[in-house]
Amino acid sequence: MTQDVFAGGGDVGRDLTVVEWGGTSLGPPEQWPQSLRTAVSILLSSRFPMWMAWGPQLTFFCNDAYRRDTLGRKYPWALGRPANEVWAEIWDDIGPRIEGVLATGQATWDEGLLLFLERSGYREETYHTFSYSPLRDDEGALVGMLCVVSEDTERVIGQRRMATLRDLGSDPSVVRTEQQTLAFTGAQLGRNLRDLPFTLTYLFDLDGVRLAEATGMPADHPVASPAGWPVEAVARGESVVVPLDGDLPAGDWHEPPTEALLVPLLQQGDSPYGFLVAGLNRFRALDDGYRGFVELTAGHVSAGIASARSYQAQQRRAEELAELDRAKTAFFSNISHEFRTPLTLIMGPLEELLTRADLTDEPAVRAELDVIHRNGLRLGKLVNALLDFSRLEAGRMQARFEPVDLANATAELASVFRSAIERTGLTLEVDTPALAQPVYLDRGMWEKIVLNLLSNALKFTFSGGVRIAVREEAGTATVTVTDTGVGVPADEMPRLFERFHRIENARSRSNEGSGIGLALVRELVELHGGTITADSTYGQGTTFTVRLPVGAGHLPAEAVTTARVTAPVSSGADPYVQEALRWTPGTAEPAGDPVPRAKSPATVLVADDNADMRDYLTRLLHSAGHQVHAVGDGQAALEAARARHPDLIVSDVMMPRLDGLELVAALRADPRTAGTPVLLLSARAGQEASIEGLEAGADDYLVKPFSSAELLARVRANVELARLRNHHARWRTALIDSLQEAFFVCDEDGAVIEINSTFTDILGFGVEGLPYPPVHPWWPDREADPKGYQQVADALAMLVGRTRGAYTIPVQHRDGHRLWAAASFNQVADPDSGRKVIVGTFRDVTAEHYAVQRDSALTALSVRLSQAESLSGALPGVLTQLGELWQADQVYAAVFAGSGPPALVSADDQVRWDTLAAEHRTALTELRDKPLLTPVADEPGRAGITLEHPDGTMALMLELAERRPFTEQDRTLLALLAGHLGQGLHRIHQIDQQRETALALQRAILGPAQLPAGFAVRYAPATRPLKVGGDWYDTVTLTGGRIGIVVGDCVGHGLEAATVMGQLRSACRALLLQNTDPAQTLTALDRFAAQLPGAMCATVFCGVLDPASGDLTYASAGHPPAVVTHADGATDLLDQGRSRPLGVRSAGERPEAHYTVPARATLLLYTDGLVERRRQPLTTGIRQVAAAVQQGRSTALEELATEVMDSMAPAAGYDDDVAMLLYRQPGPLEYEFAAEATRLAPLRAMLRTWLARCGIDPTTAQNVLVATGEACANAIEHGHRHRPGGRISLRAAATAENLHLTITDSGLWKTPQPAANPHRGRGFALMRALMSEVTVTTGAAGTVVGLQARIPR
Amino acid sequence: MSTPLTCTTGRHPDGAVVLTATGEIDMSNAAAFAAALNGAGDESAGATFVVDLTRVEYIDSAGLAALFPHVDRLRLISNPLLSPVLTIAGLDDITTAAPES
Repeated sequence: MTQDVFAGGGDVGRDLTVVEWGGTSLGPPEQWPQSLRTAVSILLSSRFPMWMAWGPQLTFFCNDAYRRDTLGRKYPWALGRPANEVWAEIWDDIGPRIEGVLATGQATWDEGLLLFLERSGYREETYHTFSYSPLRDDEGALVGMLCVVSEDTERVIGQRRMATLRDLGSDPSVVRTEQQTLAFTGAQLGRNLRDLPFTLTYLFDLDGVRLAEATGMPADHPVASPAGWPVEAVARGESVVVPLDGDLPAGDWHEPPTEALLVPLLQQGDSPYGFLVAGLNRFRALDDGYRGFVELTAGHVSAGIASARSYQAQQRRAEELAELDRAKTAFFSNISHEFRTPLTLIMGPLEELLTRADLTDEPAVRAELDVIHRNGLRLGKLVNALLDFSRLEAGRMQARFEPVDLANATAELASVFRSAIERTGLTLEVDTPALAQPVYLDRGMWEKIVLNLLSNALKFTFSGGVRIAVREEAGTATVTVTDTGVGVPADEMPRLFERFHRIENARSRSNEGSGIGLALVRELVELHGGTITADSTYGQGTTFTVRLPVGAGHLPAEAVTTARVTAPVSSGADPYVQEALRWTPGTAEPAGDPVPRAKSPATVLVADDNADMRDYLTRLLHSAGHQVHAVGDGQAALEAARARHPDLIVSDVMMPRLDGLELVAALRADPRTAGTPVLLLSARAGQEASIEGLEAGADDYLVKPFSSAELLARVRANVELARLRNHHARWRTALIDSLQEAFFVCDEDGAVIEINSTFTDILGFGVEGLPYPPVHPWWPDREADPKGYQQVADALAMLVGRTRGAYTIPVQHRDGHRLWAAASFNQVADPDSGRKVIVGTFRDVTAEHYAVQRDSALTALSVRLSQAESLSGALPGVLTQLGELWQADQVYAAVFAGSGPPALVSADDQVRWDTLAAEHRTALTELRDKPLLTPVADEPGRAGITLEHPDGTMALMLELAERRPFTEQDRTLLALLAGHLGQGLHRIHQIDQQRETALALQRAILGPAQLPAGFAVRYAPATRPLKVGGDWYDTVTLTGGRIGIVVGDCVGHGLEAATVMGQLRSACRALLLQNTDPAQTLTALDRFAAQLPGAMCATVFCGVLDPASGDLTYASAGHPPAVVTHADGATDLLDQGRSRPLGVRSAGERPEAHYTVPARATLLLYTDGLVERRRQPLTTGIRQVAAAVQQGRSTALEELATEVMDSMAPAAGYDDDVAMLLYRQPGPLEYEFAAEATRLAPLRAMLRTWLARCGIDPTTAQNVLVATGEACANAIEHGHRHRPGGRISLRAAATAENLHLTITDSGLWKTPQPAANPHRGRGFALMRALMSEVTVTTGAAGTVVGLQARIPR
Repeated sequence: MSTPLTCTTGRHPDGAVVLTATGEIDMSNAAAFAAALNGAGDESAGATFVVDLTRVEYIDSAGLAALFPHVDRLRLISNPLLSPVLTIAGLDDITTAAPES
C-alpha cells in the first residue's frame, strides 16, 4: 500500500517512503484517505514542479521537479515536515495565501513574486510564478493545498539585466562629450539598484585616478575615494573582487553589499581608460552570468568613452576641413579665368611635341602624349564653354554677323564629324542644297551650334544614323539635325534646353558632359535672332530644328559686317571630334605590373565611364600595391561588388546605366555589400554635391581634380576604417548573441533579416537561412493548426503595422515541437540605411502558457463536475471538455467493473462497447492494466490514462487529431486532470449515496402516513446539487375533530438537517397533542430546540383548524405567511401571530392569531424554497404562488398541488428543498353505508350539513340532495337488489366553483328501462336535469356515478 | 327505520280533501305515502283532492311515482325547495305555491 502511493515518484518517492509518517499529523500512509493518496500520486507523477501541504499541520510533499528547481539543500529534510517549518523564512509571504486558499477554496495566482529563500547557504533573491489550489478530503472539506510553481528567478533577473544593457545601448543622440556620456551611463546604471546597488566609475588621466561618475551613493562618500581600491591590478586589465564592510548604500535592498567587483574599462589596443566598481547584490551569488553582466556594463561605458573621444577628434578634423574648403572655394573662384593661360601653355608645346617624328615614332610615348592632348582639348573645351556662358550671362558676348553661305558652312562642319560617326557604325547624311541668299551668322558661334548638335546626336544614337539638312522658305533658313537615337522622354522635353539640366538614366555613349551644351546652343541661336526647337519620340529619335531669319534686318546694325570671309573650319572643332572618337569601341584597358607598396594592400573596385580616368586610377592604385578591378559603369560595379567583395569601391558620380549615387544606394540596400566603403569621385565641386554624396551613404567624397597622394591617403583611411568598423560589428554581434532573450530584426515586409544565437536555440533556425521572409518556417501548419496559424498571421500584421507592441504566439521548432513565445517589438530607423526596421525580442513562455492552460482546464473540469447531477451524468460532459482541450477526434472512457464487458462512455455518447472498433477495444483493454494516473502515449495520435472510478478501473483514451504530438506538458496535464476527475467522480458517487439515503430517510420521517380529508401535501428535495433538507409538513388529529397543521424549515441541508427535522417534527406533534394551542406549542418547542443542536433558528408555522367552522388559530415562528385564496379569487395572507424563529430569544410571549377559513377557500402553507429566488424579494414569490392557487381554485386539490409545484419550479429545478401543504374548507365528505333504503335519510342529513359548510345556496343544495338521493336509491334498488349486505360510498368535494360527488356501489346497475321501471327512469332524468354533469361507469366490481354541480355565484 | 314522514288527511274549507305530508319522502317510505294518497283519493270520492307538500323537505322519484296515478284529480301545494323537482317531473301545472307564512 505504502509503495503504491509513492510509486512513480522517482527519488522523491523513495525518500518519502522512509519518512517517519507515524510521527506526523497524517499518520501512516496505510491510513491515508483516498483523496490524499490521489493528490500525492498526481504530485509525484508530474514533471512540472509542484509541492503540496495536507492536514492540520500542512505536512509538506513535493516532487522531483520541485526538488531540482527550488528546494536546494532543504531536501530531503523538508519531506513530511510542517510547511511553515520548511518555508519558515517566507512564511510571512505565503502563509496568508495558504490560509486564504483553505478558508475560501479559491485558488491563488502570483506571477514573478519575489521571495528570499535560504536553500543555498545564503538568503537568495528568487522569483516564482505559482498557483495555490485547494485540496479536499473524501468528504469535500478543504484540508490542504497544491502549489504548481515555475521558478522565474533566471528570467526576472535576466530581464532586469537585459533592460540595463539595452538602456545603455539606447543612447538616442549620436555622440556626445565624455562628460555627457558618463552622465548618461550613470543615469542608466542608477536605474538598476538591484544588480548594481552602487557603482563608481574611475578614469585614469595624467594626474592619476579620478572619480568620474557614481551611482547609488554620493560622490563624496568615503568609499568613493580611489585610494581604497587595488588600482594597479585593474590598470593591468584584470577584474578583482573586493570584500566590503561598514556602512554602505544598499541600493534597492535592505542590506548593503558585502562585495564589490572591479572591472577595467578596456581600450582597444591600449591600457584601460579606467575602471568600474560595482557594488554587488548580496542576495545573488557572483556567478558567470552576474560577472558577465558587470563586464558587459563596463564594456558599454568603455565604448561610450571611446565614441565620445573619437567624436571630439573628428569634430576637430571636420572644423579644419571646413576651413580648408572655404579657402579652396575662394581660390578657385579667383583663378578660374587663369585656366586658359596654363592650358594654352600646355597645349601649345604639346602640339609641338606631337609633330616631332622622333618622339611620336615611339608608340608608348605617342600614346601618353595622345592622352595628354585629348584631355587638354577637353579641358579647354569645358573652360571655353564655361567662359562663354559666363560671358553670355554678363552680356559681354560680342557677336559679329557676316553673310555666310549657310549650306556650305554647315556641310563643312558636318564633314568634320563624318569619320567619328562612321567609326561607330552609324551613317551620316548631309542634305544641304545651296540657298538663294546668304544668312548672317557669327561663324564661331555657328560652329559651336552645329558641333554641339552633332556631338549630341552621336552620343545618344546606337544604331541607324544622323541626318543634317538645310532649307530655306519664306525668308527663314532652317537647319535640322535628326538622329535615330534613344529619344527624349516626353516629360523631359520642357527642360531640354535648361542649363545644367541632364536627362537622368538616358542611355548614352558616355556620361561625361556638363549639361550646358544645349543651353549654350539655344543662347547662341537666340543671339542670332533665331529659334531652336526639338521634336522627339522616345526610343525612336530626336530632331533639332534651328530657324534663322534671312537677311540682317533683325540684327543690331553695329554687329553686322558685310565683309565675306571664307574661313575654314576652325580648330574649335577638334575637341568635339577627339571626344567623340574616344566614345567609339575598341579602347583596351591597360594593365601594368603590380608594384606592391601599401602597408595593408586592399582590393579596390574602380568604376568610371571615362576610359582615361579609369586607366589612370587603375595605374595609380596598382602602383600603391592594391589589387584593382576596373569597370565602365555603375551597374557593372554593382555586379562586381557582389561577386568580388572588394575592400573599397572608388566610383565616379556621373556614369551611364547606374550613376554613382544610385550605385551607393544599391550597395547599401544589399546586406552583402552594405558595409563596403565607397569613395566617390566627382568633378562637381561645392558643398551640396558632397553632402548629396555622403547622404546617399558614401563614406568619402573626392572632388576632381585631385592629387594622387590625396586619393591614396583617402583610400588607405577608408580601408582601415572599414576594417575597424567590422570589428565593431563583431562586437555588436557578440553582445546580441549574449542576450538571454531571442533577438531579431525584421524589414518592413516582415522578413527576418537578423537573429541571435538564443533565437536559434529556441526555434532551431539559424543565421544560415537568413533572410526568412513570411510565411516564416516556424509558423504553425496552416492545415493542421488553422487557429495557431491565424494567431501568428495577426501578430505579423501587428508587427509591421504598429510602432511597438507585444504578443504571445504558438510557434513550431525546426524539429517540429510546439513552443509558445512572448515577443515585444519596436520600430526603429536603421542607423545604416535609414529605413524602417523592426527590432524585437522574445522568450520561450511555453511553461507559463501551459501553467495557465492547466489552471483553466482544472477550473473547467471542476465546474463540469460540480454541475453533474449524478455519476452517469458527469462523464459525457467531462469527456467533451477533454476532447476540446486536446482537439481530439474522439474521447472514450471504459469502466471495467467486473469480469463482463466494460461500460463505455464517449464524448458524443453514440458508441457502445459492442459497436466499438476492435482496435479501440484492444487499446482500452490494454490501458486498463497500466499503472494508475500514469499517462500512456506510445502510439502517435493516441493518449490514454487510467484512474479509479467508483465502479472499478476506468481507462480514458483520447483519439487525437491527425499526428498531433502529445508533449510532456500534455502528459502532466492529463495526469493532473485524471487525478481530479477520479476524485470528482468519487465525490459525486458519495454525494449520490448520501442523497439517496437522506431522501429515503426524509420520506420515512416526513409527514403523517394518513392525511385528514381535505389536505394535499408535497415535498421536493433541492435539485442541484441534489440535496434533501430540513423542511417538513405535518398534520395532527386533535380532540374535537380539530386538526393541528405544522409546516417547518430547519437550517441546513443533508442528512444532519433531516435528522434534526425528524426530531423537531415529533416534538411539535407531541406538544400539539398536549397543548392544542399553537403559541404554547411553539414556546415549548423553543425549549426543545435549545437542547437540540441544529434546531436553532428553524422556522415553524403552527395552526389548529376546526374543519367544521373553518376557524383557524395559528402562530408563526419566523415562517413565511400562509396564503388563503377565497372562492371568488380574493387572497388573504395569514401574516399575524408572528414571532422569531425557534430558539431565538424574544421579549414577550409568542402571539397567536385567529382566522376563519371561508367556505371553499384554499389554504396554502409552504417553506421558503417554494417562493425564494435569487435577486427577487420574497413578496414577489408569494404573489406568484398566490396567483397560481387563485388560478387553480376550481381544480381538485391534489391536481392543484401538482400544478403549484410545477409552475413555481425554476427552469433548473428547485435549488432549496420545498415542503407544501394545501387545505380546502371544508374537507370532502366521505361516507359509506349499507345499501338499504333506511340509510338514505341520515345520508341526506349529513350531506345537508356538509353543503351548508360549503356555503351552498338552498336550491342548489336541494338539487344535489335529490340527485344524490336518486343515485343512491338506484344503487340500493338495482345494484344490490339481489345481493343484500352490499355497501355504498359517497364522496363529496367542493372547489371554488363546483361540487363533485361520487357514489360508488359494488353492485350491477341496470341500464335505465323507463318502460319497465317508469319511476326509476324518472330518477335518472332527475339527475340529468338537476346536475351539470352526470357520468355512470359500470364495471364488474360495481358502478360509479359521478355528479357535478356548478355553484352559482 | 324508515325516513320520518307523517301524513294527515283533512278537509279544506271549500270541502276538498287535503292530504298534508310532513317530513321526507324517499324510497323507504314511498309506499306509505302512496297508501296515504290512495286513502285521500278514496275519501274524496272521485273529486279533486289536495296534497299539501309545504312541509316536505325532500321528495325523490319514488315519491313522485306515488303522485302520478292521481294526477288527473290532484292539486299540489308546494314549497320553493321542491318546485325544481316538481317542475322537472311535469307536475308544475297542478301545483300552487304555498302562501308565505
